[in-house]
Amino acid sequence: MGNNGLSAWESYRDRELQALTPLLAKHGITLEDEQPHIAGERYLMQAVTTTSGRKLILLGQMNGKRVVIKATTDSEGAKELLHERTCRELLVKIRFAYEVFHTPEEVLFTREEGFTLSVQRFIEQSSTFIGRPLKEQFALALSAFKAQEGAHATTYGHMRRIRGTFGSMSASDYLREFASFRDNVRIHQEVPELVVLLEKAYAVLHEHSETIERYTGFLTHTDFVPHNFRVVGDDIYLLDYSSLRFGNKYEGWARFVNFMALYNPKLEQALTDYVRLNRTPEEEAALHLMRIYRLGEILWYYTRTLSQSTGDLQRLNRARIEFWSKLLTALLSGKRLTNDDIATYTNLRDRLRSEDEKRRQKDLH
Amino acid sequence: MRIAIATPLYPPDTAPAALYAKELAERLSNSHTVSLVVYGHLPEPIEGVHIVSIKKRLPLPLRLLAYTSSLLTETRRTDVLYVINGASVELPLLLVSRLSRTPFIFIAADADAFARADNSRALRFLQRKAMRRSSAFIETLPMPRPEILPLEARPVEALATYERSWQEHLALLTTTYGK
Repeated sequence: MGNNGLSAWESYRDRELQALTPLLAKHGITLEDEQPHIAGERYLMQAVTTTSGRKLILLGQMNGKRVVIKATTDSEGAKELLHERTCRELLVKIRFAYEVFHTPEEVLFTREEGFTLSVQRFIEQSSTFIGRPLKEQFALALSAFKAQEGAHATTYGHMRRIRGTFGSMSASDYLREFASFRDNVRIHQEVPELVVLLEKAYAVLHEHSETIERYTGFLTHTDFVPHNFRVVGDDIYLLDYSSLRFGNKYEGWARFVNFMALYNPKLEQALTDYVRLNRTPEEEAALHLMRIYRLGEILWYYTRTLSQSTGDLQRLNRARIEFWSKLLTALLSGKRLTNDDIATYTNLRDRLRSEDEKRRQKDLH
Repeated sequence: MRIAIATPLYPPDTAPAALYAKELAERLSNSHTVSLVVYGHLPEPIEGVHIVSIKKRLPLPLRLLAYTSSLLTETRRTDVLYVINGASVELPLLLVSRLSRTPFIFIAADADAFARADNSRALRFLQRKAMRRSSAFIETLPMPRPEILPLEARPVEALATYERSWQEHLALLTTTYGK
């Protein structure tokens, strides 16, 4: 199954590239030789992500400038690109967080020869987010979260206007989704011990559903992690507009803070300390609950990858499940991961990652 | 003393006026019986403070009617009403002030609402009318709470100044009502 998934992806990718290259040439775009976003584990992400359709993300040159090309012939992929464009336009129109978030210039959007193409200017940054000093990372992350919190849809008129474009999540939606993560993990029967952990986590979310509900109605980027934005000076350029929705104020925080538990635990600590020191205990609880929710999601994601992968990649995905389970266990008992937990996992991950994936990961965060 | 606070904004809203309303209620509740009439779905609770919330997602006429009714009920139970500016409170207040003799103090905590009133004749009319009917008008506010940034030294001086500004503000409110 794993190898079938890879070969299906490779033939899809090669077929699409063959048809796409002349179309891009017609618009004066040439593809670069190195294409990190269609290599490595990218195929696995496509295989387990059913909500967004298949698409290629490519790097190219247009009029001597670097561009990012998103291309798809898949109807779901096309819908996603259109949705992202609508969100981007609406956010610009309502001047959402315009002091903080910037948008890469769109140089082409077209539907031709069965393809939907979205081409944007590539944003050069002097260093990756993780490569910046800790204080700078903290200040950038905090300003991004504060900017998102500025959009709170609370009135009747607001809700009507936004629901159609961004979608919104209530506490019962979060609970329903978490229950489906748990049930799907149970059905897959790959990691039986995970079901027990997810049961425990669900009970906590259920018990505190009012706290989750209290902070809904905020615009939040559900995938606000360094590979989805770039930083130039003090400006943050959002690269992914399809992951914005109205939901719990701390959903975006939770994704970012969980990510940093692995990539930069000092930043994880600083952000959770900030919430504890400056916000109410209810808000601190909301962040904690949303971190639990997001861990349920990532654990289900990696459980799905097990049947799509073989060999080292499957071993790596099992290690990922074990690592994120450890974080969930730690959170449920009010603890943090130890440096040993992180080092053990990262050493194993670096041994098991393919060379292609290592290239894809380089400068990604 | 029994005090009611009427506010258009309250946490989880993040506007400065929302944070001010909550902090005011928390501090007053240390020595008074306090109730809050707010707009919101699930307002942040305060121990010992009775909170009446009107859902913002209700259509406007229903929202205003519900707020007016709740404000009247709370006003009849209290010795003084603190009102934070904003049209969604000023309109119910004008109706309630006809039906109740409870004095109210008008607090200019929402600068954005003042700016909106500057640009709208109807909002300006409401605001002026509410100000004229009030026993007192307070426009000096405590400073916003300084942020404590985890990677930097604790802003001890700024926090002390902030605390002093609140003590002065509470003293001003008490003196104003005493007059």
